[in-house]
Amino acid sequence: MLEVKNLTKIYNDGTVALDDVSFTVKDNEFLVIIGLSGSGKSTLLRCINRLIDPTEGRIIWEGKDVTKVQGTQLRNLRRQVGMIFQHFNLVKRSSVILNVLSGRLGYVNPWKSLLYRFSSEDRAEGAAALEMVGIEDQANKRADELSGGQQQRVGIARALMQNPKMILADEPVASLDPVLAHTILGYLEKLNKERDITIICSLHYLDLVQRYATRIIGLRDGKIVWQGNNKDIRKMTDSQFKDIYGEEAERVNAGSLVGEEAEKWHREKL
Amino acid sequence: MASRKIVAIEKKAYVSGPAAIVISLIIPGLGHILARKMGKGLLLMLSMITIIGLFLWRIKLLAHREIGFISQYVKAVDRKGFFIGFITIAIIILWFWIAKEAYQLTTKKSKGGFSIFAFVLLMFFIVGWQISEINLGRAIRELPEAWPPLSRILWPWEAAVTRATEELTASAEILVGTEDEGLPPIPPEVPGKPYIISTPNFGQLSSLDKQNNVIKGTVIHLKGKGFTADTITQIWWADSIGNEFRPRQDREYTSVLTDSRGEFTFDLVMPYRLIPPSAAGRQVHKVEAKQITEIGPFIPADPLRLTIALIIETIFMGMMATFFGIILSIPVSFLAARNIMNSSWITMTIYFITRTILNIIRSIEPLIWALIAVVWVGLGPFAGIVALTVHSVAALGKLYSEAIEGIDHGPIEALQATGANWLQVIMFAVVPQMIPPFVSFSIYRWDINVRMSTVIGLVGGGGIGFLLVQYIRLLDYKAAGIAVWFIALTVSILDYVSAEIRARFT
Ligand SMILES: Nc1ncnc2c1ncn2[C@@H]1O[C@H](COP(=O)(O)OP(=O)(O)O)[C@@H](O)[C@H]1O
Ligand SMILES: [Mg+2]
Repeated sequence: MLEVKNLTKIYNDGTVALDDVSFTVKDNEFLVIIGLSGSGKSTLLRCINRLIDPTEGRIIWEGKDVTKVQGTQLRNLRRQVGMIFQHFNLVKRSSVILNVLSGRLGYVNPWKSLLYRFSSEDRAEGAAALEMVGIEDQANKRADELSGGQQQRVGIARALMQNPKMILADEPVASLDPVLAHTILGYLEKLNKERDITIICSLHYLDLVQRYATRIIGLRDGKIVWQGNNKDIRKMTDSQFKDIYGEEAERVNAGSLVGEEAEKWHREKL
Repeated sequence: MASRKIVAIEKKAYVSGPAAIVISLIIPGLGHILARKMGKGLLLMLSMITIIGLFLWRIKLLAHREIGFISQYVKAVDRKGFFIGFITIAIIILWFWIAKEAYQLTTKKSKGGFSIFAFVLLMFFIVGWQISEINLGRAIRELPEAWPPLSRILWPWEAAVTRATEELTASAEILVGTEDEGLPPIPPEVPGKPYIISTPNFGQLSSLDKQNNVIKGTVIHLKGKGFTADTITQIWWADSIGNEFRPRQDREYTSVLTDSRGEFTFDLVMPYRLIPPSAAGRQVHKVEAKQITEIGPFIPADPLRLTIALIIETIFMGMMATFFGIILSIPVSFLAARNIMNSSWITMTIYFITRTILNIIRSIEPLIWALIAVVWVGLGPFAGIVALTVHSVAALGKLYSEAIEGIDHGPIEALQATGANWLQVIMFAVVPQMIPPFVSFSIYRWDINVRMSTVIGLVGGGGIGFLLVQYIRLLDYKAAGIAVWFIALTVSILDYVSAEIRARFT
């Protein structure tokens, strides 16, 4: 279980990116964070694995205060939390398999790893991770030779190598076309269901939210303005919607489509 | 766009047309400025001032003894009529041209083109030609005389190899003086050995009279035997204190061809030789006949051997300097990378200081660093290495720091998120991004350093340049040519190799 209590982040330049945010995530949830660009989604996700140090508040995960740990303890915590990025953040010039194996770095002998050496078990696991996301044949290509969708799958495989209990995904499909979006989120859903990995994911499209989320948090200007489950979001009123997306926002048609229907809609649109 | 054009047309000049002419004639360019052509006006004004300034300076140089402008001008015309005349007329033309254009601008008759600048450029070209003392005529006139040394530099290969020599020598003693002083002994003739006899074996050396005219000495008749047949035989002279030299007769070195039996006869005028007074007394000189024949295989001659040795030295000088440069510039480049140093004002201050120092060091040419290094560590390759290292640190520091500034931060964040430690993050996320620019810049620098070390010897910094200047000073153009060829060869091979390697890494 992850408890976020009164989390506040003020950047050095004075920007208040998160303002007294509190919520809990139960194990095995697929939590989706929605909100406009600049509402604090990335900041929130990065506070959870401490890529960003929060200004105030506490984050308790499995009974440990994440905000207090340092050094080895922090790295041991991070290795259990996978992360997936909008721009994939692969090392472009390295091979796909090396990118995947780098997800294992928190576990291996640090000195051996500096020579890019990995045990045969790790390599086997890397191959299995690539197989799970369906690109085992691309293992020896350079990462930047792959298409966007394939690169994000490498990102997922890298996170899998961490044996994560939780995966943080920061707009994982924002730079992909809608069909690929479903594929990628489909993998996350599979991990969530089959391997009991908690997922916290920020998304932009409401239809994707409805299709995959088990619970949703709406952020606006660093504050939580909406919380609910998958059913609640379909009943979301216009004023609630405008709380999240601002006065000018209008709901597009696709926002009300769900699941299969949404997939079909996107396919037709393509 | 359209509205902007209208505004431009509506802008009125500050003065009327005739006024613009007058103002322009007083101060060229001011008319343009008042016609709202600020940039062009200033440029023309500056050009005019510069041209006139340079022109007056050249006149002064051409007539530095004259006093007063008129007489200086007359003298200058006398010495460089075409140049002075052309520029004088051109300045007058330009003066009126500017005025005319100022008039046209104020009365909107024309916008004025760029041809006036073409004219200004032509004037600068003429002035520049004169200042830099370009003398094409001389280059062509002196080509025939310069050709022999030049051709030796261009095709020096005869000097590249040599063979061992065998010397066949015989000598006869000659007394300088008269018969009654006691003639030197005549050695007995040994069959099969070279032998030379002189009749007479005494006489007077050539000498100089008061007007420095040569008074010919005694003619001695030389007879040689036992030499190799049909071979050039050199005649040498050794004076009473043992100094050997080759006398000349009719400007040519004396030599004689042996006949088919290996014998020769030769009439030699006893040469001119100044003997120091301390060696006064009975003077016995020697005449020698020498046959030098080349035997055995061709072997590399000294110039070739030295050149190869120094080319190797040069390449390694460049390599060592690059090596030290890389080692030292890596830490420096981090201090000069904005994205590493932007966390606080202290680090930013370090960043600016580092950048400034790097820029200053880089703007001083390696050749000048070599002059300084020679003072510091003495002549030789080490001075060259020091100079090139200093320059490389600055150049590479800048290139590497720009590469660091250009790295993608995403993978670093991703690797941190996996729980990797900082060394792992560096090795997995930073190093792969740094390798291509790093390899490419380092190879490029090695290329530059070897290139530079070929000339750094000119100022005493070791390497092939050192040898080259020495050969040129000794007027040994063939040896110099060998060095030049090797420099060209090395540099072009390196150029190719470095381009190939860099192409592989990007
Ligand atoms: N490193 C930073 N320094 C200062 N302000 C930042 C920084 N990163 C993000 N911000 C600001 O914090 C706010 C939240 O940003 P972010 O978390 O990236 O939002 P989102 O991911 O929802 O688009 C924005 O106003 C953004 O400009
Ligand atoms: Mg974001």
